[in-house]
Amino acid sequence: MRPAKILTAAIALGFSATLPAAGEEISWWYENANPEQRRALDEILVQPFEASNPDAKVVIDYRGSELDKQLRIAMLSGRGPDVVMTPGPAFVASMAQAGQLMALDGYAEKYGWNDRLLPVFLELGRYDGKLYALPKTYETLGLFYNTKMFADNGWQAPTTISEMETLADEMIAKGIVPFAAGNASWQGTNEWYVSLVWNSIAGPENTYKALKGEIPWTSQPFVDAISKLKEWWDKGYFGPDYLSLTTEQAFATISDGRAAMAPTGTWSFQWVPTYFDGREDEIAFIGFPSADGLPAPIYPLGIGSTFSIAANSDAADGAAAVIDYIFGDTFYGAMNSVWKGEWNTPLRDLSAVSISEGKIPQYGEAMSDLASAVDKNQYGYTTWTFLPPATANFVIQGIEEVWFGNVSVEDYLAQIDETFQSELAEGKVPAIPAR
Amino acid sequence: MHRLYLIPTLAINLSIILLPAILTIALAFFRWDGISQPVFVGFDNFQALAGDRVFWRALTNNIIWTAIFLTIPIGFALLVASMLLLISRGRILLQVIFFLPIIIATVITARVWQGMIFNPVSGIFGWLEQFGIHLTNPLTKTATSLYGVAAVDLWHWWGFLAVIFFAALRQVPAEQIEAARLEGATFFQMLRYVLLPGIKSTIMLMMIMTVIWSFLVFDFVFIMTRGGPAYSSEVLSTMAYRLAFYDLNVGKAAATALVISLFGLVATFFYIRAQAKDGDL
Repeated sequence: MRPAKILTAAIALGFSATLPAAGEEISWWYENANPEQRRALDEILVQPFEASNPDAKVVIDYRGSELDKQLRIAMLSGRGPDVVMTPGPAFVASMAQAGQLMALDGYAEKYGWNDRLLPVFLELGRYDGKLYALPKTYETLGLFYNTKMFADNGWQAPTTISEMETLADEMIAKGIVPFAAGNASWQGTNEWYVSLVWNSIAGPENTYKALKGEIPWTSQPFVDAISKLKEWWDKGYFGPDYLSLTTEQAFATISDGRAAMAPTGTWSFQWVPTYFDGREDEIAFIGFPSADGLPAPIYPLGIGSTFSIAANSDAADGAAAVIDYIFGDTFYGAMNSVWKGEWNTPLRDLSAVSISEGKIPQYGEAMSDLASAVDKNQYGYTTWTFLPPATANFVIQGIEEVWFGNVSVEDYLAQIDETFQSELAEGKVPAIPAR
Repeated sequence: MHRLYLIPTLAINLSIILLPAILTIALAFFRWDGISQPVFVGFDNFQALAGDRVFWRALTNNIIWTAIFLTIPIGFALLVASMLLLISRGRILLQVIFFLPIIIATVITARVWQGMIFNPVSGIFGWLEQFGIHLTNPLTKTATSLYGVAAVDLWHWWGFLAVIFFAALRQVPAEQIEAARLEGATFFQMLRYVLLPGIKSTIMLMMIMTVIWSFLVFDFVFIMTRGGPAYSSEVLSTMAYRLAFYDLNVGKAAATALVISLFGLVATFFYIRAQAKDGDL
C-alpha cells in the first residue's frame, strides 16, 4: 500500500471511531415479518438503539421471502443495504469472494465479538482468513414427541435408531403416522431428513470428512444412511400426505394424535402455543436418536441467516453498532421472550440473559442443551448451512427421486458428490470449522 | 421528422428488451454464480444441458403441456363460443362467468386449488374423505403432478379463449349463418362449414400464441409443485429459475432460457408467415 493510501485509510479509521456519524441512516433489509414481529423489532431494537444513538436512524425494509434474490442483484449493482442479511454461510463465501462484503475483524476486536460468540460460528463466517459474517440465529434438528401418547401407550423416548424403528413400526400397526411431516409449503423440508440421517447414521465425523473433501459422498456410511431414509419412506413413516401437508399442518398432526413424533427443527417451537395451548407439557423435544456406536444425541447445527456489512457502506460504523446491539444480552432476552426460535444469536454465555419462558420452558432447555453441546464440540452439520448452493439444492430435489424409486441411492449420492466436488474446486464450500 | 416519434419506443425496447436479451445470450457461454466474475466456458453449458436428464424431462413436459393446451382448451372454447352465438339469452352473464377465472391472480387460483381443493386436511378432498370418498391429491404423484397443474391452468384459461373466439364469431356475416340455418344445417355442420372457416385466422393466432405461452409456463407449476415431486412436473422455465436462483448457475440457466426462446422463435416464424399469407391476421 502506498503511503498516501495508508494516510487516507488512517484518517478514515480515525473518523470512523466516532459512531455513528451525525444524521446517519443505517439501512437493513429484512425478510418476512408479521405486524407483531415488526412491532417487536421496532420496540426492542430500533427505538432503544436510536435513543442511545440520537444521531442514528435505523431503517428496516421488509422485503419478503425473496430477500436473498433481491439482495444478490442489489449487491451486484452496489446498491444494497448497509446491514446485509444473507441466507447463510454459503452465500457469504461467494459475496466475500466478489468483494461485496466488508471484513469485520476490526469491529470484532473492538466490540469483543471473538469472546462473546461461540467460536464455531465465528469460523463459519470466515473467508480467506477474514471474518465477514456473524450468524443471526442458530438452530438444530431433533425429535418432538407427544408425551401423552407415549405415556398412554407405555412408550419410552427413543435414544437409538433401532428403538425408534421399533416404536415407529408399532405406531404404524396402530394406525398412527410415526413422523409428522409435510413439504407442500417448503420443499426444503426434504433436507431436514437427509441432514438427520447423515449425522445420526453416517455420523458427524464422516460428514465432516466429506465436507472437507477427504472422503466422497458415495462412501458406505452415506449409502447406509440414505438407504435407511428410503426404507423409512417405503415403510410409510412419513405418512400418506407428506407431499400435501404444509409444515404447519404436519406439526398439527402431532397435536391431534394422528402422528406421534415429529423429526423437525427448533423453529417448530413457534407452533407449540397454537397446537398445544393449555397442555404445553404434552410436547417434548429431544435430540434425534443415533445409530449404534455413535454418541447420542447429535445436534446438527444450522444457521438461519447471517449479518454482514456491505463493502461500499457509507454507514459501516453505525451498521456495526446495530449488529453489536443485536448481540447484546438485553436484546437477546427481550426478543427471545416475544419471538421464539428466530433470534437465537450464538452468545457464549447466557447467564446474564433473562428470558420470559412463558408456558414453554422446553424451548429454553433445548437451546441451552444445544449451546452446551456446541461448546463441547458435540455437533453435526445441516445441509443448508454447510453445503454449497447447487449441492444443497440437489440434496432436496434428488431425495424425492430416491423415494419414488426413479434413481438408486448410489446414483443420488454420485450426483451429490459430483456437484459438491465441482463447487469445492470453485471455492464455494463454506468454511468448515475444525472439530 | 415524424420518425422522431419512434425514438421513445425504440429506446424502451432497446434498453429493456434487446440489452437483457443480448446479455442472456452472452451469459449462456459463461460460468457465473450471479455474484462473482463470469468465466467464459464456450459451449459447456449447452453440453451440460444435453447430458442432464432433468432437462430432457422438462422439455418433454413442455411438449406435453403444449399438446394439452393446443387441444383441450381450444376445442372446448370453440364449442362453448359457438353455442354462445346460437343462444339469445344470458350471453353476457355466461361470458362474465367464463371470463372470471382469468382475472383472478394466478397465485390465488393456485393456492385455492392446492389448499382448498386438493389438500387432504383443509381441502374438499379431505372433506370428501369423511364420506368414504378417497381422492388422491394429483400433485403428489409423479405420474399425475403435471396433469394436476395443467388442470388448474386449464380451468383458469379456457374461458378467456371462449370469450376471444366468441368475439371473433360475432364478426362472421350473419347472412352466412342465416343461410346455413335455412339450408337445414345441423349445429356441427354449421361449426364445420361456416363458423370455423370464418374465424380461422383467430384460431391460428391463438394456437401460435399457445405454443409460445406453453414454453413460457412458469407460475402455476412453480407455485403448486415447484417442478416436483422428483422433477415430475419440471418445465424449462422452472428449471431455469432453479438453476439461476437456487444452484447459482446463471450460465446454465441462460442456456435453458435460450432453448425456451428457440421454441418461441419457431412459433413466431409461423405466426409471421401466416400473417404475411393472410394479410389480415
